[in-house]
Amino acid sequence: MTDTRPEPFIVRTATFEGPLDQLLRLAQDGQVDLEALPLADITAEYLARTRQDLDPDDVTENIWLLAALIELKARALLPQPPPPEEPAEEAGQLEELLEERLAAYRAFRDVATALRALEAYQQLVFRRPPEQPDEPLLSGVALTDLWRAFQEVLERGKERGAEIPAEGITVAERMAAILALLAAHPEGVPFDALFPREATRLEIVVTFLALLELIRLLRVRVVQEARFAPIRIYARTPQEDRPGAEAG
Amino acid sequence: MSDLRIREVANAVECILLVSGEPVGLDQLADAVQAPAEVVAAAVALLRQEYAGRGLEVQEVAGGYQLGTRPAYADAVRRYLGAAGREPLSRAALETLAIVAYRQPITRPEIEALRGVRSEHILERLEERRLIKAVGRKPTVGRPVLYGTTEAFLRYFGLRDLSDLPPLEAPGGSPSATAPAGTEEAESQER
Repeated sequence: MTDTRPEPFIVRTATFEGPLDQLLRLAQDGQVDLEALPLADITAEYLARTRQDLDPDDVTENIWLLAALIELKARALLPQPPPPEEPAEEAGQLEELLEERLAAYRAFRDVATALRALEAYQQLVFRRPPEQPDEPLLSGVALTDLWRAFQEVLERGKERGAEIPAEGITVAERMAAILALLAAHPEGVPFDALFPREATRLEIVVTFLALLELIRLLRVRVVQEARFAPIRIYARTPQEDRPGAEAG
Repeated sequence: MSDLRIREVANAVECILLVSGEPVGLDQLADAVQAPAEVVAAAVALLRQEYAGRGLEVQEVAGGYQLGTRPAYADAVRRYLGAAGREPLSRAALETLAIVAYRQPITRPEIEALRGVRSEHILERLEERRLIKAVGRKPTVGRPVLYGTTEAFLRYFGLRDLSDLPPLEAPGGSPSATAPAGTEEAESQER
């Protein structure tokens, strides 16, 4: 369970050692000397780590955290404009508002800890699933498998010689093409079949984006029977769509 | 009401809870077993008492009752199911979910103002997991989507309803409402 999540990224600088989100929190609370914070080093270290172990959720979260830090530091480095001529009272109100907001945020952070405990407890409880369980859109396929298959197709694209100049292929067009192909093959098509032999690099990338979009829109199903087995894509029939996203 | 009547109703309720894949409300039980709500309530109480010391228990979740396994036997069930279990939510996702739960209906910009970071991706993921959903649009510039929690959210955390949420420590020590305003609106749109 918990071991499916990667180890948190630990920042180590001369003055701070701990997880990235803690660093951001301290920075937001004004407890970090941003000018002295070696953000380039921290980022480089994090990027090096992602080369060994790429977890999309982890990366997304950490990139936001790093970006927020960079923004804070950029603001700190910029020369401060002279305070606008506002009545002193108004400035005080703004400060009060920010203070309030920060306090509210801290309250949510605390309550998130309580929810974490409830979550942990409920993960030990099993109940009969709803009659029509949400069909897994990705059966047996990890994002990394899809990524690997994509890399293979890209490699193939690379082997071809000159590239034909862009013809303005759009994701929408490729989505329509994939759906048409799947409609003609109710038994599903192998992943490779989405990418014609003569496809250019651009076509391959756009087609892959179209596939991801179709997965997101619940229009297709992606199935891999076994690890490293060929990935097959199926159209989702209309009756598979449940009208309400949520039962009850 | 006789004990025999309660016994009969309890047996019927037990059957319904076994076959149901969702929490069953008291009124739904009353309809099915054709007994007054107070008899059903007594029957549920009897069942709960009888299930003490068993592997199953009658759990009160998302406004109804459901049979569930006791946490003590989670390992055995998990070995049987061969499932690694659902991945827990990330810290950022949990925090965002907490904001939606206590401040619903709430827009993305309002959430981001509180968290201080962009939250688009996290909201999308929470929506994919059916823990939150769009409950309407705010009648302001741009008509931003308002988010609220779902019934799956209650089931996920084993809550009876939103008033069952852990109390939110009010900033500055002033008392805060745990049942957020606008909940009724969100629920009526769910029907």
